This record gives sequence, C-alpha cells and structure tokens, in this order.
Amino acid sequence: MTKNFIKWFFSTFFGSIFNSIVTILSALIFIFLINNIAGFISTSEWEVVTANRRLLLIGRMPEEHEWRIWSILWFTSFLIFSSINSWGPPSKKDLLLISSSIIIICLIFTTSSKILYVVISLLICSASYFTSHFISKSSNKIYFQNSLKILWLLLLPIIFTLLIIGGGPKPNLWGGFLLNIILAGIAIGFGFPLGILFALGRASSLPAIKTICTIYIETIRGAPLVGWLLLAWFVLPKFLPSFWGINEVSVVVRAMIVLTMFTSAYTAEVIRGGLQSIPKGQIEAADSLNLNYRTKILQIVLPQAIRVVVPALISTFIGVFKDTSLVFILALTDLLQVGRIIPEQDPEFFGKALEALCVVAFLFWIVSISLSNLSSKVEKSLGIGSR
Amino acid sequence: MNVFINKLYIWSRSQKNRDLLIQFIFVIFVGLFFYYLASKARLLDMTLSHFSSRAGFGISHTFIIDYTSNDSRWVSYFTGVINTIRVCIVAILFASLLGTIMGVARLSKNILFSTISYLYVEILRNTPLLIQIIFWQIIFLKLPRISEALTFGNTVVISNRGILLPSVTGSNNGNIWIILIIISIILALIVSYIVNKREDVEGKNIKLFNLKINGNLIGILLFFTLTISTYFILQQPYNLDLPSIYQNNKGTFLQSGGFEFTPEFGGILFALVMYTGTFITEIVRGSIQSLSKGQTEAAQALGLSNYQTMTLIVLPQALRSIIPPLTNQYLNLTKNSSLSVVIAYPELFMVSRTIMNNAGHALPVFFLILITYLSLSLAISMFMNIINRRVTRIGT
Repeated sequence: MTKNFIKWFFSTFFGSIFNSIVTILSALIFIFLINNIAGFISTSEWEVVTANRRLLLIGRMPEEHEWRIWSILWFTSFLIFSSINSWGPPSKKDLLLISSSIIIICLIFTTSSKILYVVISLLICSASYFTSHFISKSSNKIYFQNSLKILWLLLLPIIFTLLIIGGGPKPNLWGGFLLNIILAGIAIGFGFPLGILFALGRASSLPAIKTICTIYIETIRGAPLVGWLLLAWFVLPKFLPSFWGINEVSVVVRAMIVLTMFTSAYTAEVIRGGLQSIPKGQIEAADSLNLNYRTKILQIVLPQAIRVVVPALISTFIGVFKDTSLVFILALTDLLQVGRIIPEQDPEFFGKALEALCVVAFLFWIVSISLSNLSSKVEKSLGIGSR
Repeated sequence: MNVFINKLYIWSRSQKNRDLLIQFIFVIFVGLFFYYLASKARLLDMTLSHFSSRAGFGISHTFIIDYTSNDSRWVSYFTGVINTIRVCIVAILFASLLGTIMGVARLSKNILFSTISYLYVEILRNTPLLIQIIFWQIIFLKLPRISEALTFGNTVVISNRGILLPSVTGSNNGNIWIILIIISIILALIVSYIVNKREDVEGKNIKLFNLKINGNLIGILLFFTLTISTYFILQQPYNLDLPSIYQNNKGTFLQSGGFEFTPEFGGILFALVMYTGTFITEIVRGSIQSLSKGQTEAAQALGLSNYQTMTLIVLPQALRSIIPPLTNQYLNLTKNSSLSVVIAYPELFMVSRTIMNNAGHALPVFFLILITYLSLSLAISMFMNIINRRVTRIGT
C-alpha cells in the first residue's frame, strides 16, 4: 500500500525532469499565494464592510421600504431552493458550495436588529429545499415542476410589482447589489426573447429582414458596452420622444435599455449557432408536413436550437451579469461603485480598498459560479455531451 | 371594387408576393424609425469640425506620437488609439501564452499543476473584469514608496509609481534603423518564400555551393546579417538605457530612464491578460479534449516524451479548432480594453470621453469610436483568418 503510494507519488510529481520542474514551480506558486492570502486575512479589518452592509446590498433605499426587499428575497430564495432538485439531486460539491456561501454571506451581512428576518430566510431556504426533495420522489412531481416553471416566468413581474406597489422608492434610489440583480434580470428577461427574434431574422430567407437584423447585431457587437452606456448618458435623452414625459427618464431606465439591446445582440449570435446546428432534414420534414412558419419555428426549430446552446446561453447571461458593473459610466452606484467609493471618501476607512473589493468580488463570484454550475447540470441532464 | 379585392386576395396567396409584402412593411417601419432618428439628429452638430481645435488636456501615457495639450483633438485621439493598440497587442500575446500553458496544465496528470489551473479559471472567470482591473491597480499602488523603492542592481526599479525596466534609447539614426529592420523582415520573408516554393516545385532540396539550403534558415540568416550589419553601419543607433532613482536639491525623489511600467498600464494589462487567459484556457482544454485519444497513444507508442507529444502532436492539431473561438476572444479583449477608463489609462475610449465632456458633440465622436473599434476588430479578424488558413491547410 505505502509502496504503491510512493510509486504513484513519484510518477505523478517527479516522473521526468520537466515534470519535476513543473511540480516545484507550482509548489512555489502555491506557497506564495497561501502566504500572501494568509498575511492579508490576518492583517485586514472588515469594519469597512460590516459598517456599510446596507449600502453594499441595497444602496440608499429608505428604511421604510425594506420590507419590499425582504419579501423579494424570500420569494426568490423559495423559487431557487425549490428548483435545485429539478435536474436530479445536487452533488455533495454543490451542496458544500451552496451551504458555505450562505454561511459566509450571513456572517458578513447579518446585523443583530435584522436577525429575525435572516432566520426566516434561512428557514424558507431549507423548508423549500426539503419539500422539493420529497416531492421530487413522489408521483406528483410533474405538477410541482410545472407550477415552478410558471412561477419562474412570473418572477420578474412579481419583483417589479413588489418594488413599485404602493408608492415604492424611485429607481434612482435603487443601488448596491440590488441594482446589479435588477439590471441583469431586466437585460436577460427582455434581451433573450428579443435575441431569439433577431437570430430568426438573421437566419431568415427574406433579404431585407436578414440585412437589417445583421446590421443591428454587428453594430451593437462592434462597440464596447461602455461606449453604448456613454452614448445613453449623452445622447439618448435627445432622441426619446418628448410627449411621453420619458424625456427626463431616470438613468436606471437608460441603463436597462442599453443592457437589453446589448444582451439581445449577443444572445442572437449564440442562438444563431444553435439554428445552424439543426439538420436540414428537420426543416424539410416540417415543410413536408405543411406546418406553417409559426408552428415550424415554435415546435420544431427553436426547441432543438436552444437545447444545443444552453451552456453558451448561460455563459452569455453570466457575462451580462458581470457587465452590469459597468454602469458606473452612468454615475449609478452599483455594488462595485459602493465598494470603491466608501474607502475613497470615508476617512474612517482610508486604505481599506482591498477588503471592500474582496467582498464585492465574492458576491459577484458566488452568483456567477452558481449559474455556471447550473449550466453544467443542465448540459448533463440534456445529454448534450453524450450524444 | 369587389374585383379589385379579389385580385388582391389572389395576389397575396402567392408565397413570393407575401414575402415581398412582409419585407416591404418591415422596411417601411425601420425606415420610419430611422427618419425619426435623423429628424432628431438634424438638430445636433454631426460634423467633427471641433476635432481640429486645440485639445487642452494632457495625456499621461504617450507612445510614438509626442503629444502636448496644445495639439489638436485629432492628435489626442490618435494618441489614445495608439495606447489601445499597444495594450491590446501586449495583452493578446501574454494572454495566449498564459491560456495555452493553463489549458495544457488543466489536463496534466500532475495534480498540483492542474489544481492551479482549475482554481485560476474558476475564480478569475467568474468575477467581473472591472473588479480585476481595480484589484491590480490597488496591488501596484501598494508597492513600496519611491523613497524606499526596491532596486535590483540598477536594472529594475520597483516602486508605487511603477516598475522601471531597462530599455533602449535611439539616436537620430534610430528611426532609419527601424525602417531597415522592417525592410529586412520583408526581404527575408520574400526570399524564404521563393526558395520554399522552388523546393516544392522541383521536389528536391536546392543546393548552393554543394550545401543543402532550407528556405526558413536562409530567411533567418538574411534577417540577422542585414540587421546587425546596418546596426554597425549606422554607428550603433540604439544604446541601453538603465533606470535610476535620484534626489534633486529639494530632497524629492525623481526617477529617470528605462521603460516605465506605470500602475495604470500594469493594472489594465494584468487584468486583461488574466481575465482573457481564463477563456483561452477553456478553449485550449476543449480543443485538446476533442482530439481522438489515439493521437496521444500513437505518439507514446513511438516513444515521444510527454513534452514532445504535447508540442509536436497534440497542440498543432488542436490549433485548428482553437483559432476561430480564439479570434472571438481577441475581439473581446480589444473591446474590454475600453474598461481601463476606470483607472485612467488614456486609451481611445477615455480620450474620447474627455473630448465629449469638454466639447460636447457626443454623437459624431461616438461614431468615430464605433468605426475605430470596428476597424481594429476587422484587422484582428483578417490577421487571424490568414493564420487560420495556414493552420487548416492539411498535409503541409
């Protein structure tokens, strides 16, 4: 046993001269990183984050509107945790990731006055997870999953109703992580269907429609997102019609418009790849059954096309979510801006920029990594890799 | 009337006519939309006439163009364009290198090596580039102050004002020498192409004074003889320039000489390299995995070492499926370089933002930005297409 281990150890780490050099170099990199990270953690003070929890998470939203955020959080966590079991039971790695991230987030962001709300959120998370776990084993799971699908479709409208109902705070009070999530939600929620339309337009056989859609997609993809945001900052107000009163429209709405256009162009390119991968026989078969265009697209083409590109789609969505941090161009205070401004302007926290940045990066990372794990799960359950 | 409707109905039953009608309506709507935009844009000044007036702002990083705030806005804009090109070229080179190494590492049997690659990809790919840019800038600013700068025997000076590296300074003949280098590269390429072509045509090695000659070797030899001989003919146009730190009579520290690697340039460069490197890693890994396992096994059966298998068998074949997605990543990198506006590295986006703030007329400036990025993208795509054609040429 030990002999085998030693043999394995030497053959993997010191099998050849080249391999030994690689091992020593990687070990040095590891030691350097661990040394630096340990040094950073032991010397850092997290006061800058704990004192500004509210700002980081929801920006300058007034205290009396906080119930909106909590109800949105509860509803979303119910949805997310009920859906974890939809693609089969999560692996141990996933559970470890989810639970450890929840614990870290709670440790950073819980205050003693809000502990009741946090406990309720945790209860909702665990209750919905275990309920869905048991339901997924029973025979009624199809009804449960269908109702979950409908709730997911209704998620954006419900969130906006909760934010606006009964004189909610103005959009320019949205800030912090909330703003990132809202912007990403809007951009994906509207950009995805639009992207499908543009992709179909680009794949269309009608030359005029094809040309216009191609020009749109390539123009949007031609300039960087910050450029479009800058255009929205300077020029968009001059082009909006004055009679709707949206001329003085809030900067947040401008960011939403630009992000939606941007997402639609990128999604269209991804979906076009899926459309091209459909064998021609499928479309010919649909034509020979005399299906009309709408049925052909909705029942034959799109389900197959989107199925192929789900991983690429989700990585586009992750990109959009990461790109919401660029709204600093429009002078919006999203999570990253809050994390940057506090150490710069509050004399109490001078020189604590790295600590704030780490927490900001962690929040972005946790959402992105969950989405990318979801993408690999979907990929497995659709059997894309194994075909 | 009834007859007319009847005829219209029959006309619209034809698929061809219906397609025409749909397109016609679509074009009308798009045209109306553009007419609306144009009617609004008519109120704006759509010319770039203000670009010929004095810029009036300084640019901290200049390269090739010696820009001062008295120059016109065009000059400042092109200084920005050159800064963009400069950071993009360096970042593309290093990102490709890093991505290839990490992609190979991800599939290595050495657990330590593959863990580094795994952590690198999973952590850096899932955080926004903007955070990484700011992170690297903070790291650069945390370096020791200039009065306590780290020096390595007058060759490298590290302080929070930047890293100074040894460089070369040119005399008056410097530019002539650079032009001569370019000419000798072209000459060498032409000669090696001609020799290789003749070898292909004749099907045997060409002999010169009873020596077998190889086109590539001839080209390299020609290049070196030309550059080295012209270097001495022009009386050594370039000299080594070592960085140094000194105190002036007021006691303030100043730095001089060398190539300055500022925190801004370093921040954007490191972030772009590390961020794009993760995507290239995944591309390389995917391409290597898509190769059939028989290739590696055959190479091992021939007794090639792991290193030889990688560089001679696996990577050259993987390159065929790497190039197209790699081009996409290069385009993304070019567009992402505009994010350096956040740490005030004056590339084309930041310069044009300053111009927009100073002079207004945002729309024509935006079109200029759009055209510049499009032409940069086009240049990269064309270059990569040439490489792609070379790589996919099977059997040579």
